[in-house]
Amino acid sequence: MSQIVKRYSRFDRAQRIEHLALILSFTLLSITGLPQKYPDTGWGQGMIWLLGGIELTRLIHHTSAIVMIVGSIYHLASVGYRVFVRRVQMSMLPGWKDVVDAVQTLGYNFRLINSPPQMGRYTFGEKVEYWAVIWGTLIMILTGFVLWNPIATSRLLPGEFIPAAKAAHGGEALLAVLSIVTWHLYNVHIKHFNKSMFSGWLSHHEMEEEHPLELAAREMAQEVPVDVKALHQRRRVYIPVAVLFSLVMLVSVYFFVTFEVTAITTVPRQTIEVYAPAR
Amino acid sequence: MDYPMDRQWSARIVTPGIAWPIELCVVVLCLFAIWLLNPTAVLADLPPNLPSADLSSPSSPCVGCHRDNDHTLSLPSGETLSLDANIAELAVSVHGSGSAEPLNCTDCHTNETNYRYPHLPSPALTREEYGERVAQSCQNCHAPLAKHNPGHLNAVDNPNLPNCVDCHGQGHSVTSVAVLTADPVAACQGCHQSFDDPQIGRVHEELAANFGDNQNCQSCHSDRPIYPADVRCRDCHLMLQSSIELASGESVSLHVDPASISDSVHGSSMVEHRYTPLRCTNCHSDSERYEFPHQALTVDDARSLTLEMDDLCQECHTDIAALDHDGVHEAAREKNELAAASCADCHGSHNIQSPTEPRERISETCGNCHSTINDAYVESVHGAALLGEHNPDVPVCIDCHGVHNIAPPQTAQFRVTSPDLCAGCHANETLMAKYDISTNVFDTYVADFHGTTVELFEKQTPWQETNKAVCYDCHGIHNILPANDEHSQVIKENLLVTCQQCHPDASANFPASWTSHFEPSPEHNPLVYYINLFYAVLIPGVLGGFALLIGSDVYRRLGKNPRRVAGAKTTKEKSPRQEDEKGDAE
Repeated sequence: MSQIVKRYSRFDRAQRIEHLALILSFTLLSITGLPQKYPDTGWGQGMIWLLGGIELTRLIHHTSAIVMIVGSIYHLASVGYRVFVRRVQMSMLPGWKDVVDAVQTLGYNFRLINSPPQMGRYTFGEKVEYWAVIWGTLIMILTGFVLWNPIATSRLLPGEFIPAAKAAHGGEALLAVLSIVTWHLYNVHIKHFNKSMFSGWLSHHEMEEEHPLELAAREMAQEVPVDVKALHQRRRVYIPVAVLFSLVMLVSVYFFVTFEVTAITTVPRQTIEVYAPAR
Repeated sequence: MDYPMDRQWSARIVTPGIAWPIELCVVVLCLFAIWLLNPTAVLADLPPNLPSADLSSPSSPCVGCHRDNDHTLSLPSGETLSLDANIAELAVSVHGSGSAEPLNCTDCHTNETNYRYPHLPSPALTREEYGERVAQSCQNCHAPLAKHNPGHLNAVDNPNLPNCVDCHGQGHSVTSVAVLTADPVAACQGCHQSFDDPQIGRVHEELAANFGDNQNCQSCHSDRPIYPADVRCRDCHLMLQSSIELASGESVSLHVDPASISDSVHGSSMVEHRYTPLRCTNCHSDSERYEFPHQALTVDDARSLTLEMDDLCQECHTDIAALDHDGVHEAAREKNELAAASCADCHGSHNIQSPTEPRERISETCGNCHSTINDAYVESVHGAALLGEHNPDVPVCIDCHGVHNIAPPQTAQFRVTSPDLCAGCHANETLMAKYDISTNVFDTYVADFHGTTVELFEKQTPWQETNKAVCYDCHGIHNILPANDEHSQVIKENLLVTCQQCHPDASANFPASWTSHFEPSPEHNPLVYYINLFYAVLIPGVLGGFALLIGSDVYRRLGKNPRRVAGAKTTKEKSPRQEDEKGDAE
């Protein structure tokens, strides 16, 4: 086995499709959202013009938002499936080791220590990115709801929450986009083009370089027979719960989108007697 | 009076010893004349009471024959002369016994050759010629015709020049100047058949009726060799007070006060701009129509007349006419909404004054037709300052709507560009500083959802409707009040109602979602301020961390790294042959 180069699965097909949906919705949200944050700039106006005007830009933004929300619901359900039914290890959870890894990486980069930190299935950088997406998406959905439904919001919350939500929506968006074009772009495209999100696989070398602990664990792991009966039992419980949860969430999305009619479509015209000769 | 010829002649007659054949001839001629004049008939017709005492004695013999004489004398032309001297009329005429200086027959009939009895036949061949001869005798006392009535004599090539009798009357009922000027139409009508034209007759009748002191026909028809058309127009229309009635029942006054024109922008002030003051005919230039007598109006109502005159202004004011062509008023008129303003409706016609002085005049002018709008404007913060304080800074109608090429204000274009109108003043720092008004209003509007959208519409699709609010949706249009006025639509107490115009479901908290033209700060909209501050710190912080890690990674990779060199040698990969089927660990 020593000379045979193996490849190691990293993302299954569903995850890759999920990621594609995220690429699509995130990109569309960014290119329709950023010019709305900077409408007084030439590039902002140029993008809006290219997108077919501000109303169409907003329509694309809203549609993409729905795609992203539905994707998020799916992600929750699928994570739940893995955690509750298949009981896989929750390797994405951050821990103290991640902080140590980050510090050691810096030390290694500055040649203060000789070897890089050994990391598992998800490096600290990947965890930062994942949880940033989780947190950012939550913020964006909540503030997006406020902006989409300002009248409903102001029934429960002070009116100032609406411009505040706008500020947070824009700030968080800027943070997300800048993170993607720096951290994500550098780590998976520039430093080394990591194709696993498209191919599903990492090479042995890539595993060695980036996930040595996972590699070691997988090399060492014994084939454990799966308790098929117990799995099916858990699945029978989980699937109805997940379907119900998803339905509730999807209904919420529908509610989100159609909650209120914020404004009338046409501003009422004043009818003025134009020709009224003076007495 | 001096009659040298006559004296010499009579001396010869009374001197004895003259050759008898001459005397014989005279007698024969006299007899012939008597026969010719048929004195028996004349005498037979004489009334019983001969020469009346009211005529001075030298004339009495003439009166004796020429009173109530129904005979006529035939002239070679076939015309006849009455032999009746019309003594009764003569008595009451200006020359009669009742006048200050009564005349005798021979004061006028001076030529003794002709008038000595028995009279010689008149040398006149026609009545006209006879009249001329009589007229000669008027000049014995009166000024020569040339001085008396030069107006007529100016037309020297006119073969039908009038003489004294043509106007003052044939025969003995001499009409005085006072009588003639009292009814000049009748006086002049004798020759001037043009008076038969109803317009000329009517105009002259009215003019005559309005003659003031020292005014008569010659006030107009004087000896001025060049009588400019302009002066003729002014003279006539100043005196005219009547009106023309149109088919619609409306009337058009004929009275024009020349002073109103000379005081107008087209009057003497034009000299300051190196132009010649306008003449009537500069505008009323259609020579066929305005030649006197004028052609009848072809319009049925006063409005059509005003609109017809509109074209006249364009002859000089071509640039403004071109602007007008793009304006709402001309567009409305083209759609047959004829009440839409034409030049004269705003500027006046003869008494045109600067339309913008004083500034209050502008809204007043527009208010003539748009009174309901003006009523609202007058009550507004702008209108009250204009009219109450003569404030020159506040906008009047034309500042927002333009002049001449006034754009229709109900279009999408007007709506989405309207914030720029307001910003024109409200973003002007020097102007707003005078009134302590924030110039942030435009920027804060544009920073907000409504303004952002409207600005994009304006730049990209100004022809498209948008439901996002513009300044006037909240503040009002013509009835804008100060934002702190208790009736203002935007004061806190009224804001919800204002929001509900577009957001019918809005509740009490909703208006606070508008930042009220304040930049977020710890005092105003603190939540927004602190969230912005949070991201202003967070974003550079996170990106700084990323930059540190990325930068250090690049630094390590670009530097000589033994591990990387070694690693590059040891990782010659082959294409994977064997797949790891068990790994699906999360």
